Amino acid sequence: MSKSSVIYDRFERHSHAEGLKGHATHYCPGCGHGLAHKFLAEAIDNLGIQDRTVAISPVGCSVFLYYYFDVGNSQAAHGRAPAVALGHKFANPESVVISYQGDGDLASIGLAETIATAQLGAPITVIFINNAIYGMTGGQMAPTTLMGQISTTSPSGRSQFNGQPMKMAEIIAGLDGPIYVERVALFDAKQRIKAKKAIQKAIQLQVEGRGYSFIEVLAECPTHLKMSPEDTEKWVKESMEPVYPLGVKKDLTVEPWFRRNPPSFDGEKILSLTGATSEHPIRHCQGFPTHLALHDISLKLAGSGGDGAQTAAMLIARSAINEGFDATHIPSYGPESRGGTSYADVHVAEEEVLNPGSPDPQVLIAFNAPSLAKFGPTVRKGGTVIYDCSVVSDAPDLDPSIKVFPVPFTGIATDLGKAVVKNIVALGALQAATQIFPKETMLTAIRVALKDKCALIPLNEEAFAWGIKSVEALGN
Amino acid sequence: MALKERPKPFLLPEYCKGCGRCLDACAKDCITLSDQINPLTGLVPVELDLTNCNACGLCMDACPEPYGLRPAHEGEIQDFELEDPAKLFGVKPCDAPAPVDLPSEVLPLPRTEPLVIKGTYASAIGAILAGCRHVYGYPITPSTEGAELMAKFLPKLDGTFLQAVSEVATVNMMYGTAGAGLPTMTFTSSPGFSLMLEGVSYMIGSELPGVFVNVMRGGPGLGNIAPEQSDIKLACHGLGHGNTQALVLAPSTPQEMLDLTMLAFELSFKYRNPVVILSDGYLGQMTGKVQLPEAMVKPGIPGWAVYGDAMHRRNLISSIFLTESDLEVHNIHLNAKYEAMKVEARAETFLCDDAEVVLIACNTPARTTKGAVQDLRHQGIKAGLFRPITLWPFPVEELQAAIHGADRIVVVEASAGQLEDEIRLALSKAGIRQFPELESVRRMGGVLPQQSEIMAQVLGKKEVRA
Repeated sequence: MSKSSVIYDRFERHSHAEGLKGHATHYCPGCGHGLAHKFLAEAIDNLGIQDRTVAISPVGCSVFLYYYFDVGNSQAAHGRAPAVALGHKFANPESVVISYQGDGDLASIGLAETIATAQLGAPITVIFINNAIYGMTGGQMAPTTLMGQISTTSPSGRSQFNGQPMKMAEIIAGLDGPIYVERVALFDAKQRIKAKKAIQKAIQLQVEGRGYSFIEVLAECPTHLKMSPEDTEKWVKESMEPVYPLGVKKDLTVEPWFRRNPPSFDGEKILSLTGATSEHPIRHCQGFPTHLALHDISLKLAGSGGDGAQTAAMLIARSAINEGFDATHIPSYGPESRGGTSYADVHVAEEEVLNPGSPDPQVLIAFNAPSLAKFGPTVRKGGTVIYDCSVVSDAPDLDPSIKVFPVPFTGIATDLGKAVVKNIVALGALQAATQIFPKETMLTAIRVALKDKCALIPLNEEAFAWGIKSVEALGN
Repeated sequence: MALKERPKPFLLPEYCKGCGRCLDACAKDCITLSDQINPLTGLVPVELDLTNCNACGLCMDACPEPYGLRPAHEGEIQDFELEDPAKLFGVKPCDAPAPVDLPSEVLPLPRTEPLVIKGTYASAIGAILAGCRHVYGYPITPSTEGAELMAKFLPKLDGTFLQAVSEVATVNMMYGTAGAGLPTMTFTSSPGFSLMLEGVSYMIGSELPGVFVNVMRGGPGLGNIAPEQSDIKLACHGLGHGNTQALVLAPSTPQEMLDLTMLAFELSFKYRNPVVILSDGYLGQMTGKVQLPEAMVKPGIPGWAVYGDAMHRRNLISSIFLTESDLEVHNIHLNAKYEAMKVEARAETFLCDDAEVVLIACNTPARTTKGAVQDLRHQGIKAGLFRPITLWPFPVEELQAAIHGADRIVVVEASAGQLEDEIRLALSKAGIRQFPELESVRRMGGVLPQQSEIMAQVLGKKEVRA
């Protein structure tokens, strides 16, 4: 076998190619990595994908994969190579991304990334070197260390207290994401031929956009197994192979599916997604509603999740901004996804909202009794309180300067056939009670919000009108 | 047609480590272990006697060294002389072309009416307009809406949103996409940001751009989901292991969530370094007026990227420098870059020119403080606001100008003095020793300082906490 053209002619990155390092690997004599490298390089060569290949170097002995491979190289944090591989693959779907990892990297610290990436099934190729030991850190127990095997962190041999060896090929093959999983070895000529073929096939499947593949390579680490290279080969064959049976674990025929268009940079399309428009909204206000406050009006809307307090708050903010004012809305929820408390602080300012919180609002809209009881007393003197008298029977005593409007939000909405429009009833009541904005300003905001549900516009307009009428009927 | 003659092996003893894996691959027993130590390597290479060799090639297949047993091509064996490896293997380490920088383009956008959107959405739209089409994330309150909007918008723009298995995977997906030279970002919140720090350190070490929007929440530990300025220390001084720094931007309005996100991408590529946007739980959720810019970015591919094409094949993304002197040089380079970032310091001052009391705050507390400053002015007190927009580098020159003439400084923050520490450190490093005693208004645990508390501090009243 000739040296593949994918292997650098000179290993400049290996200690600046000093001495013999320009042409010798950093691996110990007899190490399986060198063979796996050669087979991988040969496969890249055979498939003619050198320019498109991105090799992810892991942490472990093969951290220096990039010394040798004349391809795009990216060096990942310990265990994270599959995540880095996905980042490369999605950045350039035409690239061929190879995640080369050892057993500590893949089967211990990086298990979450390993499993999640395999299950995702995007076409990348994982080459997993299983030598049953930690090499670079100096012979500690790996997740793949055999029962009874001595390592520096299992000095009496791996026991039940250290758990059982991880059979990654079987685990990966058990997932739905991968399409091709095979375990190969390097200990004799026959196995080496199989290993070469498997590695090439795994990459081929990626090149064709068919899916994720995983090749586990049983490899020799004579140094940390404390054996001669020859004995290590024998050990892999006689001790490892029975625990890690060789062969194809999964081989699905999948039609090519991984095709991705180049990203769009169409400005019009982006603007339409955001809902931005060049149309000037029609303004109805003569000026800032200074009868409520000179520069900044503070409101609070409070109820339970589902009352629509947040939507109503948003509509007030939209109305203000359409009129050329500034506005803010801060939602605040309980931890519940539904049914908990739901408060909204809203500010409308002539020029800029300086302080968006509403600890002492001028206007309170309360959708239930607890909200009224909690926030009623915080309303500023001379302020306004509007509450749902369908659900609040006893209103608390508030400062006599506060104008109070009991309006049956729920009753009206139920009569209209849709309880969810009670927040729109409340907005109508707000308009009539405070004259914060002209009716048409708020109706426009409501119509714009419902532009994708036009059929609901008449019902909402009716709810808004009923809110106004209820306040007018109170006559205060 | 004659069969192509198979080459026999040859070996440069210097490149043989003597592992002997070729021995049992040879059926003809041509290879033997030797006891002659090679003086150049100190290893014991195998010996070849090719008398019986039938050129089966299996020994070469068994050799783990790329320059170990190799096919003997015509001439090589006969004329074999090991003096200059370049003579045998060529001098060019790589025939890939020199990497090319494909510049980004700025495309015009029509002027539109302001949007009414929440801070996280504003940031997401800012990222899209900055050319980001690759977003990775893990759901965490109160930042998730940003990821949700990306999950909705990006597929329509043929972009990628991938929900990762964890924040650890998220930052490493970003590492991959950033390594390919493309803009990438994530939305996260304090505990999630903690988890990402390993990857942030790698990105800084490998000089990769990327934008982290951290919508800060109450801590430590699981804390809560309410706003706190809990990660100022982390972002300014604790970005993972090693000598790490990144630009830290602190928006205070939904508009700034968009503007500073766009700026973050620009700076991130300018310096090949991550940029952190520290937002807070209020600002992430807060809806406000957001004006879209009149231009957007279509990113190119930088010359340093590992994109996975011929033009960038030469490149390497890595943070490992095994030789101590190399790593020191790299650190010196990074620190020079951090020093260069100091020109990016930004601040807003509000009524500081004649201020006797300067209040310092950032994020949402800065807005509350602005409200307080205005009320204090109405009461005849010469108050002003100094709002750092970059927390790292801290805008110390602007601060010095703002506090010139002030006899009181009040630091308003939703943390136990993390902002104050930045101020003290910046003043100290700038050699500014003379400044009024720092007073503080601090809340924690998800409670923000209230305007009434700020007023009370300035007016010297004791306020019962809400």
